[in-house]
Amino acid sequence: MQHDQQAGALSRRGLFKVSAALLAGVTGLATLPKQLLAAPLEGKLATLIDLSLCDGCADRPQPACVTSCKQEKNHTVPKPVDPIPSPFPTNIIEDWSKKQEVANRLTPYNRIMVQKAQIMVNGQEKNLSIPRRCMHCDNPACATICPFSANTKDKNGAVVIDQELCFGGAKCKTVCPWQIPQRQSGVGIYLKVAKELMGNGVMYKCDLCIDRLKAGKTPACIDACPKKAMLIGPREQIHAEAEKRAAALGGHIFGKQENGGTSTLYVSPVPFRELEQKLTPASPDPKKGQPLLKPDVKRKMAESDGLGKAVLAAPAIGLVAGLVGALGKLSQRRAEHAGKESR
Amino acid sequence: MSTVKLIKRHELIVLLEHWGIAISGIALLMSGIFQLPSAARYKITAIPGFWWSGEFFFTLKLHYIASVVFVGLVLFHLVYHLLLQERAMIPQSGDVSESVKVLKTFITNQPEPPFGKYLPEQRLAYVAIAIPVLLLVVSGLIKTWKNIYAPDLDRTLLLWATWMHNVGFILFFMAFLGHVAALLIKPNRPMLRGMLTGRVTREYAEHRHPRWVSEIEKNET
Ligand code: SF4
Ligand code: SF4
Ligand code: SF4
Repeated sequence: MQHDQQAGALSRRGLFKVSAALLAGVTGLATLPKQLLAAPLEGKLATLIDLSLCDGCADRPQPACVTSCKQEKNHTVPKPVDPIPSPFPTNIIEDWSKKQEVANRLTPYNRIMVQKAQIMVNGQEKNLSIPRRCMHCDNPACATICPFSANTKDKNGAVVIDQELCFGGAKCKTVCPWQIPQRQSGVGIYLKVAKELMGNGVMYKCDLCIDRLKAGKTPACIDACPKKAMLIGPREQIHAEAEKRAAALGGHIFGKQENGGTSTLYVSPVPFRELEQKLTPASPDPKKGQPLLKPDVKRKMAESDGLGKAVLAAPAIGLVAGLVGALGKLSQRRAEHAGKESR
Repeated sequence: MSTVKLIKRHELIVLLEHWGIAISGIALLMSGIFQLPSAARYKITAIPGFWWSGEFFFTLKLHYIASVVFVGLVLFHLVYHLLLQERAMIPQSGDVSESVKVLKTFITNQPEPPFGKYLPEQRLAYVAIAIPVLLLVVSGLIKTWKNIYAPDLDRTLLLWATWMHNVGFILFFMAFLGHVAALLIKPNRPMLRGMLTGRVTREYAEHRHPRWVSEIEKNET
């Protein structure tokens, strides 16, 4: 009996040990974000959005990421002038200031939204949730061809619109494959220039909480997520983590090639092409702030890179041609001169 | 007609430089304007044949193609004429006050003073156009580099390049308009023939650029 008891105690202790180890493992998993965060938020960063973990905050009236982003960002948008000048000749005014609560699309006051997709996962019907915001692309046309360089890419990878410099022309939105940036009319520098004729407000989108990053803090949405469905960390680590999770899930990664590569990686148990077809409401309208997924979308600007390289080579070509031309001309002159002398 | 005597004013290379820079420059002005979100807003895209004006990636390609010609010719121009020591377009001292006097003769219809190959205002105009051109070339190269290799280029450098390009654009546009407007002044018009064919009539040259003609004659003997 005693022995048995001992054995039971032992085995219980063993069980305890095992479960402690398990628990440690699980908490280890759960604290993984913290571990990743333990590395300083410096150098090139990337984020990971794990669709197998995100449940869309089913138990809350609004996803925590959405709420926290609104709290973090909305007060930074200045109050638009009243009345908002009517832009010639389109007369299109986009005023979201009185609709700040809107959460089912991207707006200047809603920089992250959660899309849904009803889909079969391993033979089970599931409702997947897909947080959507700016992807912080590796070579984003929205930034590189902003005529005022109001939109720039930080060394850490964040793509940030400077609301002091943006004229709200929405070129960034046009060239973004997901049409992410959203306009608020009646604010910004255009009011001081030629408000009816030029510009129409300021474009807003997720800036990866660059101010928080610079202060060593994680972005508000990542901080707030109760499921730890989002991570941020050094780019290499996040890439490795995404690969690991995708492999474990038998799943898929989105954001690695899209638009020439981005610093946001989604991991999903189902292919993104299928996900795209099952988005609800069916076929979201990017013009209405509801981005499609567009798996494998190409970086359109890559088509002009060859010509750009020719531009960079042009000075050397001109220089050599000038040199050759001038030397040729000089020797021609010399020959003519010699000809005259000998005559 | 065959009795009209012509005198060579520009060699072929100079004509190619001028028209190459002019045509690519106009293409750059247009495709540059369309890099602003302007075409769709002002309904330029609705003009028949202008559908492409709102396609930023397409107008960027046009901008690049024109840049290859423009930048190449600018560098060619600098090196070629520097090595040949051709400085007739470089302003000389006194050009500013001289050009004011010349402008007065245009208005008052008084006879002009005798010129060399170029008018003092042409030399000043050369500098007025060369400065924005150099601004545009340098800043444009930085911007192109950024587009391909360094989207996260240092922000201060990027803002400098961007605003050098934007200011350069305005200055270049004004200089271009001024350059074309100079043809409104009647005595200048025979020079258009010079730029198109490389030759002007002997009569015009002797009348307006006697110092240049005598220089040529001196060289010939
Ligand atoms: S990412 Fe997190 S906070 Fe956002 S909806 Fe999913 S579970 Fe909720
Ligand atoms: S997702 Fe769109 S807005 Fe965001 S960086 Fe990429 S191109 Fe720019
Ligand atoms: S990173 Fe910041 S700005 Fe971007 S969605 Fe999250 S909270 Fe909003």
